[in-house]
Amino acid sequence: MPVIYSLFLGFLLGYLGQRARLCFIGGMRDYVLVRDTYLIKGLFGFFFGALLGFILFNIISIASLKTFPWFINGAGVFLKKWKTMGILANPSFILPVPGDPITWSPNVFYHLLLAFIGGTIVGFVSVLAGGCPFRQHVMAAEGSYSALSYIIGFATGAVVFHKLLVPIIKTLLR
Amino acid sequence: MRWTAARVGFLIGFGAAVGQALFKIIPPPAYGVCIACHVRDLVNWIIFKISPNFYGKFVGAPVSAKFPLLTIIGVMIGAFLAANINKEFQFKTMRVWWQNPLIEFFWGMFVAIGALMMGGCPIRTILKAAYLDITAMFGLVSIFIGVVLGCIVIKRLVKLT
Repeated sequence: MPVIYSLFLGFLLGYLGQRARLCFIGGMRDYVLVRDTYLIKGLFGFFFGALLGFILFNIISIASLKTFPWFINGAGVFLKKWKTMGILANPSFILPVPGDPITWSPNVFYHLLLAFIGGTIVGFVSVLAGGCPFRQHVMAAEGSYSALSYIIGFATGAVVFHKLLVPIIKTLLR
Repeated sequence: MRWTAARVGFLIGFGAAVGQALFKIIPPPAYGVCIACHVRDLVNWIIFKISPNFYGKFVGAPVSAKFPLLTIIGVMIGAFLAANINKEFQFKTMRVWWQNPLIEFFWGMFVAIGALMMGGCPIRTILKAAYLDITAMFGLVSIFIGVVLGCIVIKRLVKLT
């Protein structure tokens, strides 16, 4: 069931994103270079749409949204598990939503450092490459050769990260 | 009705929340739409089927362990159909020298590594910030800092050529 819905949502995202030229980092780049606000309204629309959806489904109390305000309810789920093992995380409301089950640790400063380094790399290199990853996938479907080579590099980068970089990060910051 | 970027963003954001609430895309939370994470799930699932000893165990989100989420295939099919229906399909390369296909391979690799360090691609960072996660808001600020630095470099590069 989640597989079919994700295929449908991806189809909608690809079709409408090609018609409307949607790009999230392009919005920030257009605002910084020429003060154009067409694309950054897409960013804010996404934020408010997701926030409205989460609040609505939390109010009618769907069970899979019981960790909704993450800094109040969600991080506590992990704190209880660690307290039985004797590990304490402080301050606890800054723990991130787990994106990668390997680099999860109770040290809060470690997560903030990784977020800062990763975010700066993504912003800097995406502006040089011409768009966010979503926009490059849409441009590859429009027939651009540069974007096709970007996609191959993207998949290679995911494999390189999990094979080579994760042991290095875990030993450097332990 | 005319699809501007703000309306598309609103619809897809609401659709990601619907996906978590009604269609059980749940462990991990806030996972409805993400480009980097779903590409990683698809590639790792294929590698795990071909040779299970490459990583030792399945590396990816628990919701993709049996069958991976197919968001990225839907995106490419949808964009291909939209380009063909409106006759905007054309084989082309970019016009500036730092966006030729050989260098773009390395840009793609660096963006994938940075995005997986941060915990998601830019779309998922905004979704996590709507889920009220403070580390994700910090990540959004650092993406903005990176974009400002990149714009300074682009202005210098355009002046050189």
